[in-house]
Amino acid sequence: MKTFHLTIARVGENLFDGDVISVAIPGVDGMFEVLAGHEAFVSELAKGTVRAVSAEGERFHFEIAGRGVAEVSQNQATILL
Amino acid sequence: MALKDIKTKIAATHRTHKVTRAMEAVSAVKMRKTQAAALSGRSYARAALGILARLSGSADLARHPLAQARKAEKIALVILTSDKGLAGALNSGVIKAAAEAIAPYESAAVTVYAYGKKGEEYFARRGYRIARAFENKADTIELSVMEELVAELSRGFAAGQYDEVLVAYSNFKSTFEQVPSVRRLLPLALADVTRLVADIIPEKGKWSETRAIESPAAYAMEPDDSNVIDILVPRLVAVSLYHLLLESKASEHSARMVAMKSASDKSKEVAHDLTRLFNKIRQAAITREVSEIISGREALAA
Repeated sequence: MKTFHLTIARVGENLFDGDVISVAIPGVDGMFEVLAGHEAFVSELAKGTVRAVSAEGERFHFEIAGRGVAEVSQNQATILL
Repeated sequence: MALKDIKTKIAATHRTHKVTRAMEAVSAVKMRKTQAAALSGRSYARAALGILARLSGSADLARHPLAQARKAEKIALVILTSDKGLAGALNSGVIKAAAEAIAPYESAAVTVYAYGKKGEEYFARRGYRIARAFENKADTIELSVMEELVAELSRGFAAGQYDEVLVAYSNFKSTFEQVPSVRRLLPLALADVTRLVADIIPEKGKWSETRAIESPAAYAMEPDDSNVIDILVPRLVAVSLYHLLLESKASEHSARMVAMKSASDKSKEVAHDLTRLFNKIRQAAITREVSEIISGREALAA
């Protein structure tokens, strides 16, 4: 599986920084799933759960309260809470 | 110097030593806390600035009011200093860098936003207009305070009240090295953001590798273009200012810790030298007295 770099950070705290296969993000217009090679994309986040599958195939998730931003570009994704 | 004076001076030096040592201990704790905050904040700032940098290369952001560069005539200067002194050359360095940056402009064209008393006092004394002055006391700062300040600066910038917003702060390199720097906050430009990202990358360690900033030609935006940019841009600008403040805090406490350490060392040295001098003078007095008694006795015996 192709992987891409995902960073999830909150002010003063780094929640995740590493390679993942996929990540599902709750945008204001609904959930969307990001895989490697996704088009460049910026979205406001809604309250919900970010679910990701790491490069080793491990699943993990973060609850988010909304009021954040997700950005996808050139094989990397950044989620700022 | 009389013996009694020296004795008082030794006692005074010991008292100073006690004070500086206590301040050193307090600063050491604060230093560790603020350094940790600055270092852990770096990954967020780097991610946020990365987005900002990539966005500023795209056409969507170039049209944003905050990205419009024009001839700089009116300047807003945000100066981040500490409230208290006793931090070595930290504040004077930042103030000097700020004064150099605004030297080409007339003082009437410069508006100062002072975060921390030292910067406020300096620019108020020289007749600059202080738009807002914040106390820089607490070590934990809320991002919302910066968001409010950035909102005010952005309004001023968009309304043409300021053509440029500069920030003078102290960049934290290590406990022993803090670099006074001046950064341009607005208008948003790729070069400035890239430089800021480069500044917060440490020389070695986990975060030291640099990834080139490439920006895609266009972003798909959700919910829609203007909405996202309007939410994102002020937020990212606030994050960068917030980060500069974290760096300043870490610098302040590091500089104070080092200054207090050298003050403690010096007072110890001075006390030691004074004790030597005291002993020498006392011994000289004893010797003189003894020789007087002996010579008096010999005069009587003769």
